[in-house]
Amino acid sequence: MNDKPDIRVLLIDDEETLIEYLSKRLLREGFTVKASFSGEEAVEVASNNDFDVAVVDLKMPGMDGVETQKRLKKIQPFLQSIVLTGHGTLDSALESGKQDAFKYLLKPIEYENLVETIREAYESKVQLQNAKFREEVENIYRSGMGARGIKNAMNKLRKIYGIE
Amino acid sequence: MESSDPPGSHSKENAQEILGLKMELLQTRRYLQCILQHSNDIIFATDAGGILVSFGRGGEKALGYPREEVAGRPIRDLAVDPSEFDRLTALAQEMGNAAHVEFPFRHKAGHTIYCDVSLIAFTRAEGQTVGTVGIGRDVTQQKKLQEDLIRVDRLAEIGRTASGIAHEINNPLAIIGEISGWIRTVAGDAKGLTPEDREEIERAVRFIQEQTRRCRSITHQLLSFVRDSGPSRASVDIHKLLEETVSFLNPDLKYKEILVSINLMEGPLVMDSDKQMLEQVLVNLLSNAVYAVEEKGGKGGRIDIATARVESMIEIRISDNGAGISEENQKRMFDLFFTTKPPGKGTGLGLPICQNIIRKLGGDLSFKTEAGEGTTFFVRLPVS
Repeated sequence: MNDKPDIRVLLIDDEETLIEYLSKRLLREGFTVKASFSGEEAVEVASNNDFDVAVVDLKMPGMDGVETQKRLKKIQPFLQSIVLTGHGTLDSALESGKQDAFKYLLKPIEYENLVETIREAYESKVQLQNAKFREEVENIYRSGMGARGIKNAMNKLRKIYGIE
Repeated sequence: MESSDPPGSHSKENAQEILGLKMELLQTRRYLQCILQHSNDIIFATDAGGILVSFGRGGEKALGYPREEVAGRPIRDLAVDPSEFDRLTALAQEMGNAAHVEFPFRHKAGHTIYCDVSLIAFTRAEGQTVGTVGIGRDVTQQKKLQEDLIRVDRLAEIGRTASGIAHEINNPLAIIGEISGWIRTVAGDAKGLTPEDREEIERAVRFIQEQTRRCRSITHQLLSFVRDSGPSRASVDIHKLLEETVSFLNPDLKYKEILVSINLMEGPLVMDSDKQMLEQVLVNLLSNAVYAVEEKGGKGGRIDIATARVESMIEIRISDNGAGISEENQKRMFDLFFTTKPPGKGTGLGLPICQNIIRKLGGDLSFKTEAGEGTTFFVRLPVS
């Protein structure tokens, strides 16, 4: 892997000005950033592109943060979500916890803290993905397929996990 | 010879009847006496001029006057506002009675006793008013309880409103923060800026970010005030926590030349509580103590921290020899947004939040203060 990984971030918030400036800063930080202004839009975007980390606002009109997160997880199981909320109550945060949010940050966020958290979320994603990949590779070898079968299965796996 | 003529037997019947009436009168008097002796209500009677002719034990207890001391005195003298009592008397005489009026009396010791009073005009059979009979019930405690409830309700309401506002402000605040960060980036990249201009922009952006952070801390504090999640429970070493908190504030203390003495009860003090919440309370109380000592100025500033077991509670005392709190401010100490600090130094959230937290932990927070001498805060927590 590169020493400076390309981290793909999906930003989801209905506050357009916030997203505009947050994107600009994160882009300059070296992240690959895609902005979306609603949960629905984010789900659509995530069906066509892979991301490592999603930064999701909890309170949005239409599909809210918790629901968005659930859907994203279904599409891309290793995607890590960071949930931003202006809410004082932890109830929704706990709800996100059930949906395996990587972390929950109180709005307004400290920018440096967000950048740090995105990097941590990425590390966590890579580790989870590698562990799962290894597990499946072992399964393939244990399955007693012939050399040809193994090669095919491995190629399929590589494609799924985006590991070349 | 004994007479047995009709008139004689008649007078014998009369005597019997009189004896019977006497007995009845005695019985009634005993009955009244019993009521006057044992009722907790203030029961009194006055003559037509408002002079007290009867004053029950309940009245003695509630208002602090022995009967001998008030007998023969006008009842109106016992009222907080005598002329207001005259009006009540006039009403009773005009209407026959004045029922269930909340009326303040003055206790012998000087404080006010609120009574639920009924005043009845006392008339003779032919309708002539000969005085008044009054029954009053001390409702001071009840009234205070009710006021406390209203206050707590109002506090909760203010909290909810404020947190709603805080929540709405969070987004614009986030945007200001992000844009100022972006300005710094753009200015950093820009060519053709003089070093002075660059420094100017850097400085301005830094101020915007500092102030954004300040707003953020207010909104977060407010939101945590109404956060209704209960405290978490884990074993907390109170002594260790106190020492940690002091060392956390130490740089501040050294710089200000304030002497801190810690006087802990023997042995470790471990209890089931919420460490983060307690820490928030201790930091708050200690910062307040530092501020009070500083406010007073001069040398010899002291803060004493002590722990003790008081009945079934653990008590943490934080005393300062600072400026103390004036009487009028004491009443408002736990009011939301009440602060004596200058703008930017205090939010008026610290103490209400502390009180909220300690209540959630099943304890109570109180203080003793003397203007010019200092203040002690008492945090009491249940042992288990």
